[in-house]
Amino acid sequence: MSRALTHNQARLQRKATWRVAGRTRPAWDPWLVGSVLSLLTLGIIMVHSASVDYADRVMGNSAYFLARHFAFVVLGLLGAAMVMRSRIRWWEQGGPYLLLFGIALLILVLVPGIGVYVNGSSRWIKLGIVNIQPSEFMKLFMVVYVAGYLVRKQEELRNFTQGILMISIVVAVIGMLLLQEPDLGAVVVISVTVLAMLFLGGVRFWHFMVVIATGFGGMVLLTLISPYRLTRVTSFLDPWADPFNTGFQLVQALIAFGRGEWLGVGLGASVQKLSYLPAAHTDFLLAVLAEELGLIGVLGVIVLFGIVVVRAFAIARQADAVGMLFGARLAQGIGLLLGMQALINMGVNMGLLPTKGLTLPFVSYGGSSLLVSSLMFGLLLRIEREARTYAWGMR
Amino acid sequence: MSRKKNYMQHPIRYWLVLGMLLSGFGVVSARAVYLQVLSSDYLQSQGDTRHTRVLTDNSHRGMILDRNGVPLAISTPVDSVWAHPKTLTKERNRWPQLAALLGLNTSELSKLVNKHSGREFMYLKRHITPEVAERVMNLKVAGVALLREYRRYYPAGAIAGHVIGFTNIDDRGQEGLELAYDSWLRAVPGSKRVLKDLQGHAVEVVESITLPTPGKNLIVSLDRRIQYLAYRELKAAVQAHRARAGSAIVLDARTGEVLAMVNEPDFNPNNRAQLRSRVFRNRAVTDLFEPGSTLKPFTVAGALESGKFSPNTLINTAPGAIRVGYKTIKDARNYGLISVARVIEKSSSVGAIKIALSLKKKDMWELLKRAGFGETTNSGLPGESPGLLNPPSSWVKIDQASLSFGYGISVTPLQLARAYTVFANDGEMPPISLLRRDAPPSLTRVLPSQTVRKIRAMLELAVGREGTGAAARVPDYRVAGKTGTVRKLTAAGYVDNRYVAWFAGFAPASSPRLVMVVLIDEPTRGGYYGGQIAAPVFARVMTGALRLLDIPPDAPRDGVNKRMVAARAKGGT
Repeated sequence: MSRALTHNQARLQRKATWRVAGRTRPAWDPWLVGSVLSLLTLGIIMVHSASVDYADRVMGNSAYFLARHFAFVVLGLLGAAMVMRSRIRWWEQGGPYLLLFGIALLILVLVPGIGVYVNGSSRWIKLGIVNIQPSEFMKLFMVVYVAGYLVRKQEELRNFTQGILMISIVVAVIGMLLLQEPDLGAVVVISVTVLAMLFLGGVRFWHFMVVIATGFGGMVLLTLISPYRLTRVTSFLDPWADPFNTGFQLVQALIAFGRGEWLGVGLGASVQKLSYLPAAHTDFLLAVLAEELGLIGVLGVIVLFGIVVVRAFAIARQADAVGMLFGARLAQGIGLLLGMQALINMGVNMGLLPTKGLTLPFVSYGGSSLLVSSLMFGLLLRIEREARTYAWGMR
Repeated sequence: MSRKKNYMQHPIRYWLVLGMLLSGFGVVSARAVYLQVLSSDYLQSQGDTRHTRVLTDNSHRGMILDRNGVPLAISTPVDSVWAHPKTLTKERNRWPQLAALLGLNTSELSKLVNKHSGREFMYLKRHITPEVAERVMNLKVAGVALLREYRRYYPAGAIAGHVIGFTNIDDRGQEGLELAYDSWLRAVPGSKRVLKDLQGHAVEVVESITLPTPGKNLIVSLDRRIQYLAYRELKAAVQAHRARAGSAIVLDARTGEVLAMVNEPDFNPNNRAQLRSRVFRNRAVTDLFEPGSTLKPFTVAGALESGKFSPNTLINTAPGAIRVGYKTIKDARNYGLISVARVIEKSSSVGAIKIALSLKKKDMWELLKRAGFGETTNSGLPGESPGLLNPPSSWVKIDQASLSFGYGISVTPLQLARAYTVFANDGEMPPISLLRRDAPPSLTRVLPSQTVRKIRAMLELAVGREGTGAAARVPDYRVAGKTGTVRKLTAAGYVDNRYVAWFAGFAPASSPRLVMVVLIDEPTRGGYYGGQIAAPVFARVMTGALRLLDIPPDAPRDGVNKRMVAARAKGGT
């Protein structure tokens, strides 16, 4: 009886701290929560729509991907809830260990018998009924590590060897491991995100330019070494040159966009998903969405991701303002990572960028990607919560 | 953890990075507008060339129904398995399964696919049962699909095979009425544009380019029941007498509708494997025979018309033979001095010659021409022969003499049947029709009715107890008709051992309704006279047909009459 009373009092007390000039602030960032939940819902609908024919034909169960996707969404939201109850301090301290754990996973996936070899690459570790994709987790671990690194080495960052070179070696090691799978998309996303985080973290401008130049040179070199990457690069520039071979996937995606027009052909009515468009429910889900929901649907998805990115950066500023430097760097990194991955995926779908194995965060089918995106979502909410608490001097 | 209050690091870089990210979203949005609005037409046309296909939309051929609506030819939907050779080539590992279902072996299938490589369409197997079609589709082999087609089925089978004819596998008429009325019966296939998935399966009909038009039904004049009777009796006679061939025709005397038309040898149109022209030729309209004595009533009609003869005019046929030119024509025996009526009854050729030689050639020719000899009946049946009737200017004495008893002229059985409608119909001849008539046709007068009545009396005598056609008699009905026995003309001239047996007649004689012609070609057993071989067929078919059509008996036996009266009283009608 008395315990219930004190509990209630504590709740009332906590609630009171959110009052600003008589206005009640919601418990969690409403814009961020709203857009992420919208993206997740849209994802469930679109994954089912895009996979229903394939699932029926290949798996013999039209709801196969829907059921799995839904399970991962639930799992992801549970993960996010757990992250929201964590402390940002723990993440700051755990960064290096997470990095080592991630590297260990990346090595494990390359071990034959542990890594699952699918479509010419071994990206998955088989864990019972689910496969986990270490590269997806690596993205999160990398952002957490780099955010901590930027905070720890604030002063050394002005020094080239101490600042840039060390982190570059880490990125290079991880990059090499990822390329063994190979997973070029993850390399690009991680490199660009780390680069932008360094830039935001205050690395000297000319150091930054050197890194960019090196990175760019490396990319060119990689493309020249592996001819299949070269064809991937050249084919996106003119997919119509060889629409039945190297340009096949992109041509089918572009046709899906064209068929969609303003309002789309209607949910479920896509033709392109009927085995014309490979990976319709994963990397090329946006194309199916474009066909079924039209330009309106595509712009809606872009706006939702825009909100996510803007909120992540706003939360970073909020954290920065209360002196949560790690939280600020982490929020920026998450915003960059989600934003970059969404941008690259959309660019690939629309033929602006060469084809990569990248999913659309929160939307595409893919358990690890969904789980990691959800954890990032949870982290953003946690940072915002802590930053707000600091602002009111509460701990 | 380092915390510095109200301090923001690198604000310019912050806005720069956020700005770049957001402008990235801007670029992507612009690209989406470009793709989905500005170049959507181009992309859609690219899509259409990849996933639409124009398929033919078949429809069914019209039914052929007998005059009472009984189906004689029906189209049933069947499936044909077709393939896109290029796609199928990629599925080589599925070939054994596919071949097994289609009843081929893998090398045959491989040969078939290779032959059509570079094409967009090939049949794998046509007209398979729905069960097999379902199993083929369950294999889900890429590039294999079904096409709805229609297979013709003839419920009457061999019974009406010659008249109805048949279609080929592409549903086109090849013979008989199927060919004659092909454009009426034939369905016009439509075409539709379908969306297909990458496996080549049609997903959705995008548009019907042209709608298919099913063929129209054809109601023919045949009565399936009479057709069956005629078929059964003709077949029995041809078999019993080991004949080479045979034909029988039943006409409605008043309308010229063909109620039955059968031939032997017959064939089953449902089984295309046994189709040989010898078998499926509709001899009743394509083959020519000399009519022999069945033509004598026309000679006598010409005689009555000339005014020189009456039925009772006496003609001396003694000694039962006559020499014309360098030929001698004999009667079966010496009939001595007989009337014109007896000439018909006994089928005296000597009498007929004597009559004919006193007539004008042109009058004879004109009468035969009016009766339709030497020109087709316009039945519409494919391959119909017009027969042969030489012009009188070319006749010498023996030609005129031969013509009087039916030699030197060639007719089809259908022509002879039509000519006999003149006697059945009081001198007027209806046009022949293989389609059911809904209104009586306009008739052509060939002979005055009083002349015809006299001939009819003679023809009734010819099937009397004393007549040559006694075997044509039908219980309870008065019958009129004429037998014919013709030596066949071969390359070596007229031969003694090959005959054609004819019977042409009608019933009931008091008010004729049905005209029937029976022809048995080269009977080799049990005699060869028309009266022996053809007349019994006439009798059996007529016995059934008259009752089937509910035609009242005009010579009922006592018992029959009483029974009928009793039955009517009981039935209340």
